Amino acid sequence: MLAATAVYAQPKPPPAWHQGKPPAQAESKLAPLPGRNTETPASEIPIGKIKLPKGFTVEIWASGFPGGRAMARGDSGKIYMGTRGMGRVYEVTDEGSRRTVRVVVDKLTQPSGVAMHGGSLYVMAIDKVLRFDGIEKNPGVQPVDLTDKFNLPPEQHHNWKYIAFGPDGKLYVPFGAPCNICEPSGEYAQIRRYNADGSGMEVIARGVRNTQGFTWHPKTGELWFTDHGRDWMGDKGPEDELNRMSKVGLNFGYPYCHAKGVLDVDFKKAGGCKGVTLPVTTMGPHAAAMGVIFYTGSMFPKAYQNTMFVARKGSWNRTVKFGFDVANVRAGADGKGAKVKPFMTGFLEDPKTAKFWGRPAYLLQMPDGSMLVSDEQMGAIYRVSYKK
Amino acid sequence: MRLHRAGRWAWLTALFIAPVLAQPLPGRLQLCDACHGPGGNSQIAGTPSLAAQPVIFLENQLVLLREGMREVPQMAAAVQGLKDAEIRAIARHYASQRPAPPRGSPDAALMKRGAALAGKLHCGSCHEADFRGREQMPRLATQREEYLVAAMNSYRDYTRKGGDTMMAAALYSVSDADVKALAHYLVHTR
Repeated sequence: MLAATAVYAQPKPPPAWHQGKPPAQAESKLAPLPGRNTETPASEIPIGKIKLPKGFTVEIWASGFPGGRAMARGDSGKIYMGTRGMGRVYEVTDEGSRRTVRVVVDKLTQPSGVAMHGGSLYVMAIDKVLRFDGIEKNPGVQPVDLTDKFNLPPEQHHNWKYIAFGPDGKLYVPFGAPCNICEPSGEYAQIRRYNADGSGMEVIARGVRNTQGFTWHPKTGELWFTDHGRDWMGDKGPEDELNRMSKVGLNFGYPYCHAKGVLDVDFKKAGGCKGVTLPVTTMGPHAAAMGVIFYTGSMFPKAYQNTMFVARKGSWNRTVKFGFDVANVRAGADGKGAKVKPFMTGFLEDPKTAKFWGRPAYLLQMPDGSMLVSDEQMGAIYRVSYKK
Repeated sequence: MRLHRAGRWAWLTALFIAPVLAQPLPGRLQLCDACHGPGGNSQIAGTPSLAAQPVIFLENQLVLLREGMREVPQMAAAVQGLKDAEIRAIARHYASQRPAPPRGSPDAALMKRGAALAGKLHCGSCHEADFRGREQMPRLATQREEYLVAAMNSYRDYTRKGGDTMMAAALYSVSDADVKALAHYLVHTR
């Protein structure tokens, strides 16, 4: 028992969350904000505090699933949600007047990645990949374990996943930097894609610190993704990024070059931003820009057509808090002229004392053109709709 | 030793826990107090004190234990089937209890060594300068010293599951002797 423990403890390098913390911030009391592991009854969600532009309304669409974040919708309308610390994947069933929730699988290590493809649910935890075939019709289906096919590296930090299938039918999977700031080994700080069965792996982008959301442009089919900026460089940044991948093989800068060409303070390299693809726009300092969608529905006003919504879960590594909203980004299909405007706010009540109640994390466009917003803090999904 | 403990717990479970599981909150709290001590001030070596722990810390740990994410054999039966509302009530109860003073008296040399280490490792950044804890980060002051040693070792050695990676990082490569000095200092700081 003791011997096994000692061996297990041997070579792990530190995930070093406080790595890169300068002496000036040594006494800083900033720490990641606590999540909530218990169910929040709908009656305790202050939905009335949410603010939206004129004509938009919001309702609590479903609740009672602590830690629920990324959403994947099946053909029958069932929605699957991953979590991190809770170790669960939820299934939310729309029964018309109400939604019911069940746990599909639990006790996994941060199973935050969920995707639907060909009637199968794909679940990706840090150290496991499972496929549930035909789950919408067959709730008790036993998963197929695909873990061996994906060659997942061992480090945990920043290796909880957002996953999605692209227009090419391939599964896109990020592998974050296993640290705040470091020169990671070759299997990290990148986005890969695989065939649905785990074969044919390709690294398609490098220099990506930690992307927790991506989607494809409705006109160009190009991948757009958010990326979290590093911590402990102060309140001003470096800012989170919204990137556009115009081709395979681009370098997005980490760890030497951040945001709009900000050089790193710990890993200095001459010409650190040379050859780096800079973002379409920045999303704010420590904002935790998460899920993204391009809006293509018919319910919202025309001005929103093909614009992007970005959920910003909100900052921890900042003395005055920032984010805790859903922003709308208008940009050309080539990424030029991007403008960011807060769209759904009211979750952050006092930036100075970090008083907040909700943390918008992921977005999903429904067939009727309404937009679902998951709140990881409240374990709830809100539905945003529009009426003239 | 392990078998003996396991056997003892099976026995306790059959005798006390099964009937208590069906009871409302006061009964549940008696069950908690039976091991964690009156008002959550533990009198049993290896069993942590709960008094004055932050509400979120208690809630999170109870959920992790119930879900089997954090594996503590002694707790498995006690938390089985606990509803979220009960967990919240138990957490509120222990968060509002007064912590008893630490056992034993501080050793000057260990205190000095522990203070230097705590400063270097920035324990107070998250756990507060007086180590009373906050939010998801536990109270360390007045905790049982041997429990704190075991807890820190399990974070450092990656044997405690269900938490995040923060504490493993904070305690990376801290020696056994330093863990002991840290625990002594953290427990006795007020």
